[in-house]
Amino acid sequence: MSATTPAPSRRAAFIRRLMDNRSFTIGLALVGVVVLMALLADVIAPFDPLKGNFKARMVPPGAAHWLGTDHFGRDILSRILHGARVSLHIGFLVALFTAVAGAVIGAAAGYFRYADGPVMRLMDAFMAFPPIILAIAISSVLGASVTNVVIALAIAATPHTARVVRASVMVVREMEYVEAARALGAGHVRILLRHVLANAMAPLVVRVTYVFAIAILNEAVLSFIGVGPPPPTPTFGAIIANGRDFIVAAPWITVAPGMAILLSVLGLNMLGDGLRDVLDPRMAVTTR
Amino acid sequence: MIRFILRRLLASIPVLMLVSLITFGLLWLVPGDPASMFLDAGATAEALDRVRREMGLDQSFPVRMGHWYMRLLQGDLGQSLLLNRSVVGAILERLPVTLSLTGLAFVVSVLLGVAAGVVAAVRHGRLADQGMMTLALIGLSIPEFWLGLVLIWLIAVLVPIFPAGDYVPFTTDAWQWARHIALPTFSLACVQMGFVARMTRSSMLEVLGQDFIRTARAKGLPEPYVVVRHGLHNAMVPIVTVMGIMVGALLGGAVVTEQVFSIPGLGRLIIGAVLSRDFPVIQGGLLFLALIYLAVNLMVDLLYAAIDPRVRLE
Amino acid sequence: MKLKFLHIALAAALAIGAAAPAVAQKKGGDVIVAITNAPPSLDPHATSAQAARHVNLHMFETLYARDEGAKPVPDLAKSVAVSPDGLSYVFTLRSGVKFHNGKTMGPADVVASIERYRKGGASASLIGAIDSVSVSGADQVTVKLKTVQSTFLGNLSSPRAPIAIMPAEEAAKDIGKASPIGTGPYKFVEYKPDSHVKLERFNDYVPNPAYKERDGFAGAKIAYLDTVTFRFIPEAGARDAATMTGQVHLNETSDESTAKRLKGNPNFTVMKALPYAVQVLKFNMAQGPGADLNFRRAIAQAINAEEILGTAYPDLYLMDQSWVYPGSPYHTDRALLKQDVAAARANLAKSSYKGEKLIFIIDSIRPNVDAATVFQQQVAAIGVNIELKVGDWPTIAGIGLKSDQGWNFWTHGFGIEPYEGPASAMSHWVKGQGQRKADPVIDDLFAKLNSEMDVAVQKKLFAEFENRMADQAIAINLGDYGLFQIVSNKLKNFKPYRITRMWGVWLE
Repeated sequence: MSATTPAPSRRAAFIRRLMDNRSFTIGLALVGVVVLMALLADVIAPFDPLKGNFKARMVPPGAAHWLGTDHFGRDILSRILHGARVSLHIGFLVALFTAVAGAVIGAAAGYFRYADGPVMRLMDAFMAFPPIILAIAISSVLGASVTNVVIALAIAATPHTARVVRASVMVVREMEYVEAARALGAGHVRILLRHVLANAMAPLVVRVTYVFAIAILNEAVLSFIGVGPPPPTPTFGAIIANGRDFIVAAPWITVAPGMAILLSVLGLNMLGDGLRDVLDPRMAVTTR
Repeated sequence: MIRFILRRLLASIPVLMLVSLITFGLLWLVPGDPASMFLDAGATAEALDRVRREMGLDQSFPVRMGHWYMRLLQGDLGQSLLLNRSVVGAILERLPVTLSLTGLAFVVSVLLGVAAGVVAAVRHGRLADQGMMTLALIGLSIPEFWLGLVLIWLIAVLVPIFPAGDYVPFTTDAWQWARHIALPTFSLACVQMGFVARMTRSSMLEVLGQDFIRTARAKGLPEPYVVVRHGLHNAMVPIVTVMGIMVGALLGGAVVTEQVFSIPGLGRLIIGAVLSRDFPVIQGGLLFLALIYLAVNLMVDLLYAAIDPRVRLE
Repeated sequence: MKLKFLHIALAAALAIGAAAPAVAQKKGGDVIVAITNAPPSLDPHATSAQAARHVNLHMFETLYARDEGAKPVPDLAKSVAVSPDGLSYVFTLRSGVKFHNGKTMGPADVVASIERYRKGGASASLIGAIDSVSVSGADQVTVKLKTVQSTFLGNLSSPRAPIAIMPAEEAAKDIGKASPIGTGPYKFVEYKPDSHVKLERFNDYVPNPAYKERDGFAGAKIAYLDTVTFRFIPEAGARDAATMTGQVHLNETSDESTAKRLKGNPNFTVMKALPYAVQVLKFNMAQGPGADLNFRRAIAQAINAEEILGTAYPDLYLMDQSWVYPGSPYHTDRALLKQDVAAARANLAKSSYKGEKLIFIIDSIRPNVDAATVFQQQVAAIGVNIELKVGDWPTIAGIGLKSDQGWNFWTHGFGIEPYEGPASAMSHWVKGQGQRKADPVIDDLFAKLNSEMDVAVQKKLFAEFENRMADQAIAINLGDYGLFQIVSNKLKNFKPYRITRMWGVWLE
């Protein structure tokens, strides 16, 4: 990790390697499209996603409504554009909270030997719940809202992330330069932040990208089961849930948002793969 | 080996304790109780209170928790509040269903995934490789329940090849069992298939690039033999290590698949119990799932040690 | 000569025989019915859930039951003699009625069942007016009331949480613990949770000799089928799929798109059970803007009821806003709510509402959620800010049934109350139960209705109740909705009713 080349050109080389990686660039493009849809939703959506039109219910895709309408008469395209905003918002927050919580817990468990046992037992206990059931239970307790969905999904995703961070921290903990730093009198926190976590960054970043993707998928499942954000909030999962009873009469309500989820998650997965290839090619184990 | 197993069993106990405590925490906080399931919207508040009293729900939560643990020590998971049978009975009725769905999906994902991964590794860089890996990536990114819905629409309603749901036990009619479980298994296995394919491919690539493979080829051994006997055998090790996580993911996915296809499994039992607040079933069911998860992990570790002689069970 | 006459007579008899209905009832067969939810209990006293009625009312009977027009008529009782002061009812029981366990029903069983219900039945208040029940003869039971109750026979025959007659030994058990042993045409075989309940024909059942055919919950309940299996299939799509593939003979409730698709299909008949329930929009009058009459009036004028019902129940609604169904003698042809956005805005301005966020609680049943979603958009147009709080039934029931806090609006259906009659329809609004704040006028009307035996006066009282509900906007009656029931053409003579009746039907 000692720098013999000046920092800016190392960064430039890093970025160049990322851009050379096809997985990363395609992933970035896909994610970019979804993000753009979300950011520009207000501007480019042809209709109000919340407003129903009693006379235009369950209209198939056509000139007036490119992706058709649902059983309220709401334009599906507009709902998907705004849904991208909510779904990405949820995914991003879950990824952020999981990164922070996972880093703190994993670092503590990996670095302080006395904390390792009890903390990891606790993480094991949470991991023994299928994440969906945990999320459903937490949503039921807290009530259905975007915030609570974020909390539920973040709690479900943190244990695995903590485990990833802990593994890296444990490797670095034993390294010589850490002992050297300690010999020089550096405090634990300083060592943790500057040296140990820096090493754990790579797998954490890769893992968090996948967490983002999984959060989008899990939000869809929660909405499908009925414990997601309340109506009329458009999220990809909520639109599918709305269309589920009409799948034979109006399949477009279900197909379009599913494709949107597929695109977003595909993009994020490819992004994660690209990052992993560049940051740490040995991390061949991708998990979901 | 026996010592290892015993030690692991002992170590599972605190985890199971924590699982039950976390569950109790959630149940304490969750609003509502199963008394309302007996009444309709026209009911009075007095009726609600009376049903609660009859069900013993008016006791304080710590008291109920204490009763549950005491019964647990006697090996009794209690009686369901809504299903008219014991929790253990309800779980055992459902278990074969979930196990057959998850087990079948596991076998399918491993078989198809490994096959795809091997082909991709052998044809590294060529069209077959690109194709397989793209499919795998798409499979990884598809929402399972959506796939299930679309499959039901396409293959069960539009073109009625498969039935749209429900479950027929294998012992009743093997052919019907297969017909009913085909779609759910496929939609459940799709995701894991992609995952296994990718992992197999990278693991194989790493192994195939090693010296001993070159030696085997130089010795003139036929290529399929080299690939399978030497290459695959060594590549399986990392796959086995993540089998535990795979089963966990499959169990979680099975929960949702059961909802989409109306299959009366453990997942639907627990979700139904959560939504109707059947507390004993939620408690018992979650504990059971945790047990399955821990048992699978133990088996995977044993399998890992069996496959890779370099690993010593610490 | 005589022989010729005999030939002619014989020929005539044969001709008449041939002209009889081409479809004769066939005994035998196993029918499978798809219902949405599992019954929470097979003890009929323990629950008022609709799902339980489908099953329990095949196994159990009551002293009096409602006929096709919802009128109370004798079922297990042969007749009743009411004292002139209206305080004493002497029921003469039918003889030779057997329970499923072989025991012959006697007055002791009736007394035990009624006492059990009084103490802990799901709607025990129905017979709250009873002072005492006792055996008064070999086949007689006497019920003494504390006060005159015009609705007593109606309450006794309520199918909602039926006052079913069970053997005294079962009645001795705690509520919820009685075994399903009744007098009905079908008896219990097995119950597999999350799957089905199976019943089989009770061969010692004697249909009530006073009747020729089925009549609501009463009449001659002839069981032609060998077994009936009620399968619980909560997912709409799965129920439809099961019906189309012939796995079930009857789908309790389907939707408009399936109904449309099956029109003209030779294998199925789509039947509409309309009206089946009233969609009610409730206010919380105990706190928040719901306490303010101007606010409630503003809401009533802001909405378009037809759009709400048309979205939630496409092709399956009836714009009728009386609190009982058309066909009831108490039904009035009320003027429908008219949407008047300008007037709504004016009333809102006069009210105490300051633009704060209000909470609308709903359970997760799709039409209720849809109704709330449309409502939210409609009132947003006049500036009322609503947040939908969808929850599972236990959460919502906990808030709406018990609490004055945490909700401002609630919508759901009322199925059985409008069917049962004026007293039942009114009872939800008495003592402020539904709206969280007692309305003395309604309470007074209810008391009068209960003690008034003259039907003409009852009708006037009920009309006054309906006017009061509308004038004070205590709650909004949006209209009636129904059910699409899909029947396989193999199942003959099925007629939609409050439950999927499997007596009087046969398989071909």
